[in-house]
Amino acid sequence: MTRPQNLSGWLKLVLPWLLFAALLLLPATGPSDNIIRLLFLTAVWTTTGLGWNLIGGMTGQVSFGFAVFFGLGAYTTALFMQYGHTPYFGFVGAAAAAMVASFFIGLPTFRLRGPYFVIATIGVTEAVRVIMNNLEITGGASGYRITENKPFNPLEHYYTAIAAVALAVLVSTIIANSKFGLALRAIKQDQDAAADLGVNPYTSKLWIHAIAAGLTGIAGGIYARRAAFFYPGDVFAFSTGISILLMPVIGGIGTVWGPVLGGVIFVIVEEQISVKFPNFHLLIYGSLLIIIILLEPDGLLGLLRRLFRLFPHQQAKTRLAGDPG
Amino acid sequence: MAILEVEKLTKYFGGVAALKDVSFDIPQKQICGFIGPNGAGKTTLFSVITGAHRPSGGRVQLHGKDITGMDSAALVKKGVARTHQVVRPFKAMTVIENVQVAVHYGRRAVTRTSAAREHAMEALKLVSLDHKAPLMASALSLGEQKRLEVARALATAPELLLLDEICGGLTGAETRAMMELLHRVREGGTTIMYVEHDMKAIMAVCDRITVLNFGQKLAEGKPEDIQNDASVIEAYLGKTDFGSKKRA
Repeated sequence: MTRPQNLSGWLKLVLPWLLFAALLLLPATGPSDNIIRLLFLTAVWTTTGLGWNLIGGMTGQVSFGFAVFFGLGAYTTALFMQYGHTPYFGFVGAAAAAMVASFFIGLPTFRLRGPYFVIATIGVTEAVRVIMNNLEITGGASGYRITENKPFNPLEHYYTAIAAVALAVLVSTIIANSKFGLALRAIKQDQDAAADLGVNPYTSKLWIHAIAAGLTGIAGGIYARRAAFFYPGDVFAFSTGISILLMPVIGGIGTVWGPVLGGVIFVIVEEQISVKFPNFHLLIYGSLLIIIILLEPDGLLGLLRRLFRLFPHQQAKTRLAGDPG
Repeated sequence: MAILEVEKLTKYFGGVAALKDVSFDIPQKQICGFIGPNGAGKTTLFSVITGAHRPSGGRVQLHGKDITGMDSAALVKKGVARTHQVVRPFKAMTVIENVQVAVHYGRRAVTRTSAAREHAMEALKLVSLDHKAPLMASALSLGEQKRLEVARALATAPELLLLDEICGGLTGAETRAMMELLHRVREGGTTIMYVEHDMKAIMAVCDRITVLNFGQKLAEGKPEDIQNDASVIEAYLGKTDFGSKKRA
């Protein structure tokens, strides 16, 4: 990575580490169980949002079907634990299962042009949910229960989730700054032009979809282990897939920190507002989406960036530090 | 020794033959021009050779190996690159990033970012766009976008370069600079196939010219021979009834 050239460059480099350190040290300050639970949920959902953003944001292949990877992660982790493995081995299995599933969706549809991938992601979600509703070894529609032979430790769940979201941020940052990330951005803008420069759009999409699915699978496993009980109508629901997509879109599609911001907002809205005012959260999402689509396609992060540019002080500084011309 | 051998290449769009039994060889390190009236099949020929369209019949060989119907990304890695008549820059990326993609994924397959940026800068210098490197590609004028298109194709380090109307929309001075560039690229060992409507430009720069008409090869030869070929004049200007009457 290149050395940052101005203040905002240094902030970008330092802030993630400060945030990470704060999250690691937070339990020492004795927060309430509810704060830990909320941060756990934020970390889990942000991980899925970051995963989705790799294929939906960076590569421009919109998927409504990430609930499949989330649910598969949940069930795979549960089954691994059922057969006596550690949950952490279960998370690895969850990532692998989700990646395999991603190839089932991607192999036939990424070859086609047009909306086939999007349509397939909707169809596969519904199909998998129906299958899981009727699959007897996982309890069908009545769900699955995980039993652990040790006392419930919220902090272990918390740290696992923080590790997952840190991994997702790290993977996203590395990809965004790599030649692979550059190719993905090229594919998003014009996949034929990208192919004319030697980029293979088909295999690129397959791999980034698999990485995205893997991260989402891990998040599903971590979520399921803490919830200890889950059912297909929850983890495989179409609305779960929408939630995963909502975070990067609200926060800032295609960026690394947009989904993080979106994840924080998502959990606040889900946990605080939807409890007090049922269905009110849908109005909030709807309004946010309209504002974002009409005014700022780059999401809240884009809006923040634009606001900062309004300060003349900041502007002068960027002009000094920026490239000539 | 021919770098590219095209044998009876045919392409139908529905019932219309855009290319019909077109055969020719491209000798190494030459600039080979392709001309013909609108709809003669020049762009289709490029699209079929570079894998954007699958041919309905015929064969394309690179260095004696069959590459018919191979996809564009694989061909770029084998050293065949093309530009498009209608430019397609990645507008939400900077000028240098546009070229960097080609350096990373072209024949050289450079992995390190710093090395790729150096190579990209060299390609931009060739088309005199290095001073625009940090700008967004959307900020370029049409002429600059045309040059960016050429820089990207050059950055893949091609052995065979297919250029489709790179001078459309360029000023006279820019066109002359582009012709000089083509000579330099050829001296660097790259073979060029070149489609252009600007007759002056193509006659000046090409070693050989192939004329297409209604998807078929009409004539082939040195620029001066092509200029005097009766069938070529007929294809462009129509039958010279007036002249024959006078002679009678």
